[in-house]
Amino acid sequence: MQESSLSFSPISSEEAGYFKLLELTPELVTLIEEATIQHSDGPSLVVKGQPGEDAVICTVDKTYSMRTVGLSNSVLVVTPPQDAFASKFTDNGVVIRDQLNEIIELAPIVPKLHKLSTLLRGREYDEEHDEDASSTPSFTYQDARELIQASDAELNKGLRERRILHINGARPFFLSNQVFTASPGDLRPISLTYLNQLLELVLNLLVSLSQPDTGASVEDISSALANDHDVPRVVSTQVMSWFGDIHQGKWKIDVDCVIREVGLGILRNHKHEPVAGDIFVAQWRSLVGDSFEHAVSLPLLAVSYFGIYIDCQAHLSSLQQGNYLVSTMHDTQYLTYFPASLLPIDPAARFSHLFLTRPRWKGDEISPFLSDIAVNNKERDKLLLKHCRAVTDSEGVWYTARAQYNG
Amino acid sequence: MLIPITIAHSSSEPKLPPGLAKISHDEIVLVELQGTLEVESNHPKERNGKLVGTLNIDEITNKPTLLIGHHLLEGKIVSLPKPLAILHRSSVRSSVDVDSEDDVMDGGLDFEEKEEQRSPAWSVVAVVKKKIIFSKRPMPVNIS
Repeated sequence: MQESSLSFSPISSEEAGYFKLLELTPELVTLIEEATIQHSDGPSLVVKGQPGEDAVICTVDKTYSMRTVGLSNSVLVVTPPQDAFASKFTDNGVVIRDQLNEIIELAPIVPKLHKLSTLLRGREYDEEHDEDASSTPSFTYQDARELIQASDAELNKGLRERRILHINGARPFFLSNQVFTASPGDLRPISLTYLNQLLELVLNLLVSLSQPDTGASVEDISSALANDHDVPRVVSTQVMSWFGDIHQGKWKIDVDCVIREVGLGILRNHKHEPVAGDIFVAQWRSLVGDSFEHAVSLPLLAVSYFGIYIDCQAHLSSLQQGNYLVSTMHDTQYLTYFPASLLPIDPAARFSHLFLTRPRWKGDEISPFLSDIAVNNKERDKLLLKHCRAVTDSEGVWYTARAQYNG
Repeated sequence: MLIPITIAHSSSEPKLPPGLAKISHDEIVLVELQGTLEVESNHPKERNGKLVGTLNIDEITNKPTLLIGHHLLEGKIVSLPKPLAILHRSSVRSSVDVDSEDDVMDGGLDFEEKEEQRSPAWSVVAVVKKKIIFSKRPMPVNIS
């Protein structure tokens, strides 16, 4: 028999509330156990949130929601007495440090990057850049890190996917373990019209400088852009890094990615007026020029046979976000710009918006418009189950709106 | 607001007695009770350092028992459905005075306000996968 006398800690009243229990997912257990062994410095977990927001907990590359769950039982946190008080207890004495009636549950969530566009509104960067820069207070990477509930890796990815520039400061560079280094730069989303102009310039430059698209010289392109078109180097190199990999001064271009962005640039003018598919492709081809024409048809045509909706980004970007709708009239396909990023974030509002646009959707048509609000396919199916009615006919499963009797 | 959570490693904290240490973690053990430990007192500080009962782990059957006064609780060691990280707020009031713990006067009343001004720092002190749970009714016993 091993007896231990159980007492309240000598400072239990001071320490009340000093302990919390956090329910861990298997990957978090691994992360914490590895951190314990490796003696790595610095916090691996960060709780993020403004007053009034639901707090989230972030690892280096994931975000989890935090929810406090009450327990009907109470949990005692029992430890040996702290050294300072050890003399007051017997050898086998243990003390109750805290009594808890709740645990914190974690669930993986989509990083809350949507706030970025609100925070950066009116800060677009285009040709007439620097005039208004001093009038507005700057919004730095550090600010974004504090205000955006997302892990560092997700934030960096979000900045890249939203085409946001770091101006007037070193842009963060990534070490192998995805840790960023401090960057005081101002965050400015690039104006999309300007971005498209730049990309067209770059595509032309690649041809005129006879640079291979597998390893173009970053220096040549950025100096040509700086000298002939007044594009600051900080802008041109960042744009290049968004559309490929820069390694030792060589730019390996993600051609599909560039071509897609050019295509989206054209499509953006067709938010209300649908454009016929073949006219659009012709326009697209002429913009990217002869040497890249071959790449144009691929992403578009490969998916247009799928039917009504084209997920143009599916195989090009991990974001898998919907961008446009296709409707068929008189055997001609018409495209309309319909980006998921402009849809409401709240699931219920998002679904009502989607069903107003189109009364019924195929599963693979609707899912790209849900990818930015559902963390994985399981969560997406839960949303579909909750907000839609599935109808099966000869063409497969269709999703329609659930009757909303209570508005 | 950012609240960093550090992960404590190779701590020099005192270890639990061997019977308790082998349950899940050698520095911390979680004990779950139905209901709460109620202590009659005029001030929360009164209970500080006071004896609650005797905790036993039977070496052969591995059954935990908790004797509080004339009541004996029988429990068991169970695995947690999901492992729990125990977070501890790092900075305890710096002026904790060892000798004043028996002082039940209102000395520590404004403690909360003082603490609030400091930015909280939390650390993961342990990951536990098992706990002791006492879910049965207490049995009255005679202590001879």
